[in-house]
Amino acid sequence: MAAGRTAWSLERRRAFTLGLIPALAVLAVVTIGPALYLVVTSLTPLTPIRPGSGLDFSTPFANYRQALFTGSFDHSVWLQLELSAITVGLQTLLGVALALLLNSESRFMGALRTGFLVPMVLPPIVVAIIWKVLYTPDVSPVYAMLDAFGLRPGALITSPVWALPAIALADTWEWFPFTMLMVLAALQMMPNEPLEAARIDGASAWQMFWHVRLPYIRPALTVAVLFRLIDSIKAFPLIYVLTNGGPGRVTEVTNYYAFIQTFNFAYWGYGAAIATLMVAGVFGLSLLIARLGAGGVEDA
Amino acid sequence: MRSAPRRGWRRGITQGAAAALLLAVLAPVLWLVQMSFRPHGAALGADPVFVPTMANYRALAAGGFPASFANSLLASTGSTLLSLLFGVPAAYAMARHRFRARGRIAMWVLVTRMAPPVAFTIPFFLVFSDIGLIDTIPGLIIVYMTFNLALVIWTMRGFFAAVPTALEEAAWIDGAGVWSTFLRVTLPLAAPGVAATGILCFIMSWNDFFFALILTRTHAMTAPVAIVNFMQYAGWEWGKIAAAGVLVLLPVLVFTFFVRSYLVSGALAGGVKE
Repeated sequence: MAAGRTAWSLERRRAFTLGLIPALAVLAVVTIGPALYLVVTSLTPLTPIRPGSGLDFSTPFANYRQALFTGSFDHSVWLQLELSAITVGLQTLLGVALALLLNSESRFMGALRTGFLVPMVLPPIVVAIIWKVLYTPDVSPVYAMLDAFGLRPGALITSPVWALPAIALADTWEWFPFTMLMVLAALQMMPNEPLEAARIDGASAWQMFWHVRLPYIRPALTVAVLFRLIDSIKAFPLIYVLTNGGPGRVTEVTNYYAFIQTFNFAYWGYGAAIATLMVAGVFGLSLLIARLGAGGVEDA
Repeated sequence: MRSAPRRGWRRGITQGAAAALLLAVLAPVLWLVQMSFRPHGAALGADPVFVPTMANYRALAAGGFPASFANSLLASTGSTLLSLLFGVPAAYAMARHRFRARGRIAMWVLVTRMAPPVAFTIPFFLVFSDIGLIDTIPGLIIVYMTFNLALVIWTMRGFFAAVPTALEEAAWIDGAGVWSTFLRVTLPLAAPGVAATGILCFIMSWNDFFFALILTRTHAMTAPVAIVNFMQYAGWEWGKIAAAGVLVLLPVLVFTFFVRSYLVSGALAGGVKE
């Protein structure tokens, strides 16, 4: 009997391994393969106008030196930090506020909740054209309304001062539902007793939020913020359609900088080095998430 | 204790405020929709009264847009089906068997989900140029698997973990093998999960703009890239842009309605350990 059981568990083990291997093989080909290729490319001055440049490893760290010690990469990183700080900050505030507002058992609120998810699920290119319409004075209903009051402000997206905040506003609109969704999921799993106890003790609405609800939703909120932080680095269609990195370079955040260096100027090696640095940063943030996730939200 | 009428009153205000907010949030989308029905030349106007017309949609149908739409459908469906084919058995294996490398596989899936697309596009562009996969549907399908396969493995693992093992054990005692039990017992029970995961994959591929922008030209151009091309000619064709935007967002809205309760796990895909 014991021998039979061992044979059976061996067979099971073999069967499961067989199910896992094809997927891992494909995943390796489409992720680890490109990752290695990226790192190797980043060690060369590869550009299509110089044949053989892809195999030139004579100055392997030239691209990284150029990225770290000349100004334009730094510039893009600072812009990225600025954009990420604004968008993630606003999304967190709005997301939490709306989650608190919509956290109710009523059917009506449930239907509204679904409606608020729309910006997040829209194809990003559609979000980009929606905001292009809003920001283009000739077609924008907002500009038409202001015009009716005699106001004629300039176009935000061509202003060196307002282009980045304009993108941040659009990005906030697109992604606040994510934070809202995460916080709502946490709020709905919250037991009722602590709230009842606080109410009996005469706590104000603000005290209830700050001392009872917030500690409870903090793990979910942390994960949501980290996810938004990482994804904010990848914002592409909005910048591509609204400003194309301009005016000048005031909206050329790191991701966009990598795109322009690689696909407009054909500095493949340099672009690969920037992308490698980005992956390294993202990897660090992912480790943080994995650690927090372990003790944080159960299955939001 | 508050009196009942006062409470009802407060509830009414909260609900009214929430509804007004929702309208404000969705107004930009509704504006795009009405723009797509405006007659030619009046697309720019804001006059509240106009005779709706399908002219913009007819203009789209006459041009190259239907081909791009079909490309989007093909690439998204193809990538979804292939990801399910490879990912579902792997997810089942991970749900039922404690492999030693499970934690590392989870981390791998997470980093794949997080990595900036530009990091994938550079090597894919270089390799695809060499092997002739630039501007082809199979090329797009392969690229979309970079995120879809990870998504399938992660979300399906959760669904399989929720299926009780008692039924499987009964089948094993009757002498059925691991995978025939899986096909006859477990998979049918997890069918709603497979459908939800498939829809999430489809939406992720359908929404892609960056990969298609870089890796396609004319032949395999997808609908989101086609929209941008309406912006590149001298005069912007706002009416067509709006109509194309509506057509691209429609399938996503319909599908999302079915999977709205799975959106959290789909968006996190690997970020949270169970």
